[in-house]
Formats: sequence, C-alpha cells, structure tokens
Amino acid sequence: MSTVVADGAAHMGLETLYREHSGWLHGWLRQRMNNAADAADLAQDTFIRVLLARSAGMLNEPRHYLATIARGLVIDLYRRRSLESAYLQALAQQPEHYAPSAETRAAVLETLMAIDRMLDGLGERTRAIFLAVQLDGLSYEKAATRLGVSVSTVRKHLARGLMHCLLIDDA
Amino acid sequence: MKAILADAVNWYVRLHDSDVDEATRVQWQAWYAADNRHAEAWARLEQLQYRLGNAPRGAAQTLQAARWDRRSAVKALALLLGVGAVGWQGYRVSPWRADYWTRVGERRQLTLADGTRLDLNTDSRVDVVFDAGQRLIQLRQGEILVDTAQDPRPLSVCTAEGDILALGARFSVRQDAGVSHVTVATQAVEVQAKRMSQRLRIDTGYSLSFTADSFGPLRPMEPDAQAWVQGMLVSVDWRLGDVVQALARYRPGYLGCSKEVAGLRLSGAFNLDDTNVALASLEDALPIRVRRMTDYWVRLEPSGLG
Repeated sequence: MSTVVADGAAHMGLETLYREHSGWLHGWLRQRMNNAADAADLAQDTFIRVLLARSAGMLNEPRHYLATIARGLVIDLYRRRSLESAYLQALAQQPEHYAPSAETRAAVLETLMAIDRMLDGLGERTRAIFLAVQLDGLSYEKAATRLGVSVSTVRKHLARGLMHCLLIDDA
Repeated sequence: MKAILADAVNWYVRLHDSDVDEATRVQWQAWYAADNRHAEAWARLEQLQYRLGNAPRGAAQTLQAARWDRRSAVKALALLLGVGAVGWQGYRVSPWRADYWTRVGERRQLTLADGTRLDLNTDSRVDVVFDAGQRLIQLRQGEILVDTAQDPRPLSVCTAEGDILALGARFSVRQDAGVSHVTVATQAVEVQAKRMSQRLRIDTGYSLSFTADSFGPLRPMEPDAQAWVQGMLVSVDWRLGDVVQALARYRPGYLGCSKEVAGLRLSGAFNLDDTNVALASLEDALPIRVRRMTDYWVRLEPSGLG
C-alpha cells in the first residue's frame, strides 16, 4: 500500500500526524478493544512504529495507514495474550520443580509467536496436520489416525503447509 | 523458484514417509545434485525444520489451545482478521549451519543437505556445519546414529575427545563425561583422539571407547546397540541396575534402583516411548516393586519391603 508520498521532514510529519489523528486513533482502538489502557498503549505503539518506519512525511490517507498498523498490533497483542495463557496453563500441569526461568519462558513465547504468525492463513485441517507431523513428530499414519483422515490427506496438507511457510519466507 | 520449492516439498514429504525405499533416496539425491537451485530450495526446507525444531515439547497443543481461545476473542473483531504476518526476521540463521536437539525421552530423524541420515537419541544436541570442503557434525551431548551419504567431501563427527572420520559408514557415537563411544554397524571409521598422534580404524561390528589421550580395547558391538533408533531397548542377560540406568536416560527426573535388587539378571525388550510400561513389566517379571514419590522420582525396590 503506497500511501507514503514525501520523505522530507519526517519528524515534523510525525508531530502533525500525532496532533491531528491520535485522538481519532485512540477512539478507533477503544471501539475495538474493551480495555482503555490497552487502547492507549497500542495507540502509542502505533506512532512508535510510524516513527521507526520513517515514513510519516505526508500521507494521502493517514488514518488508513494508522489503522493498518494499529490492526497489526491488536492482532499481535491477542496472539501474545492467548499464547501466554495457553503456555502458562501447560506449565501449570508440569511437576512443581519444572519451572523454567523468566528468560526461558520469554524465549519460548517468542518462538511460539513466530510459529503462530507463520501459520496464519492456513486452513484448520492443514494447520492441525502440519502441527501433528512437524511439531509433534508423528508419522503420517499416526497423524492420520489421530485426526481421522487418510494418509494421503496428511501428505497433501503437509505439503501445503510447508509450501505456505516457505513462501512466507520469501516475503 | 516457486516450482522448485514445490518440488523440494514433494521430495521432503516422500522422504519422510515411513516406508520410503532406497530407490526414492537415490532419485532424490540425483534431483538434489542436478541444480544449485535445488540445493538452495532444500536448504530452505532445512531452515524451516530447524526453526520448528526450536519449539518446546507440547508446542502444538499450546498453539492450538491459543488459537481456540483467540478465536472467541476475535469473533467480536471480525475487522481484524486477514491482516498479514509481521516481522519474522531474526529467525533466519546462516545457510549451512544448523543445530538440532532432542529433549529427554525424544528421538528425532533428520536428512541432511547431502542425504546423510542422522538420528538423535534422547537428550542430544548436534551442530551441523557443511561447507565446500567438508561435512562436520559436532556432537555436543547425547547420542547419534549417522548413515553417511556418498559425497566427495569427507564427513566427520567431532566429540569433546576427538574426531571420527566416516569411511562411508553407518555408525553411532555417544558423548559421555570425558569419554566418547563409537559403534560401527557397516563399513568403517577412523578415530583421531585429541591428544594422540596415531589414528585407529574401527571396522564393521566393533565398538570403541576413547578419551582425549587413550583408546580403550576394540570390542565386538552388542547386537542390539542401535535398537534405540527403532524405539527399543534390548537387554540380553543384563543386571537390573544396568537396565534401569539405560531406561533412566529416556525419562525426566530420577529413576534408580536399590542395591538389593541391582544384581538381578534379566533379558527383555522395552519400548522407549513409554518407560512406565517398561517399569510395569519389570515389576511383573521380578521380585521388585516400583516406588513412586511422583512421576519424577521413581525407585525399584525389593517387593518384600513394606
């Protein structure tokens, strides 16, 4: 999406962008998240992204641009929260002395985030088959039995999942 | 490139079939060698495997649980769906170096870029470095089985005590504290200990343990030394203490046995994927009982003890 027109005076542009649109963005986020603090955080993060992207100059459709960035951040926030809570639940089922350090937990969470992002856009069945074979290490036969599909379906969806991941890498 | 990636994926899927035959592997090698872009596509698949290999055990369940949880959250946010992935950078690693590992109780089989097959036993870790002149597998911990593919470049496994040069062999290497163990199932290897000048050749059917400055005696290999690749531990007239020690490697936490029963002798085949079943069958066959404080602290004791 080529909404960026000029590249001069980036900081000036950001200031203007912030002054004119931060209230609107905050409101836009408030409508989509039922937590005011989250909405405020994400509004700030959105402007930080814009600043880092150095592309605030003059935008034809600044609100469209801001909303695109903000939407990505909202998705990531949900992704992180859902993974965090699933991971903590998984940990809670482990024996007591199995307590990974904060650093390890953060690293695991990042890995889960990266894999989850990578799998975005895969259909339910492809995702389940891909995870069973690639992460759980099941044979095609075992994956087929677990998911109640044929072995040739497992092969087909595994190939589809792998291809999806390889092509994301291209982007 | 997309078509080549699709070919690579099809090969990958075929090679990981449980009944893949030698002919398929030979065809795959021909495909791999036919074009640099084929090798490049294969390397990308390996990268992907490597990244997925970083996932902790149980990651699949966690990812699925999170997805269901999120789905209900996102239902109210239909607008948000469909926006693409952000920032996957930082997960790229340099092309010809990869490390692989297994956790306690896990085993893993890999096909390396040259077609060499590598099995990792429980709780093992390797770095694989291939370049124009050599193929190096650095064994950091645990045990591997290497089935060497033909390639002009020499293949070696390095341990803390020295290097093992494959002469087209299928062989296993295990790293213990201060000592390396090598077992050759086919062909031969040459061992170079770190602080010794002469090399020692090990032929088919022999095992050797060595430290940085000494070779142990050459011994005929135990017939089932490599049964772990099939997920089995085979013991013929072993002491219970040795069986327990072998099983303990596949089980997180403590597994031991009391002195009174360590000397009992037995023969049997145990499934390594479920050591609880193995313990139950030991309890059936011998005058012992399994004492469990938790699943992570298990000790075999004489059954007479109250």
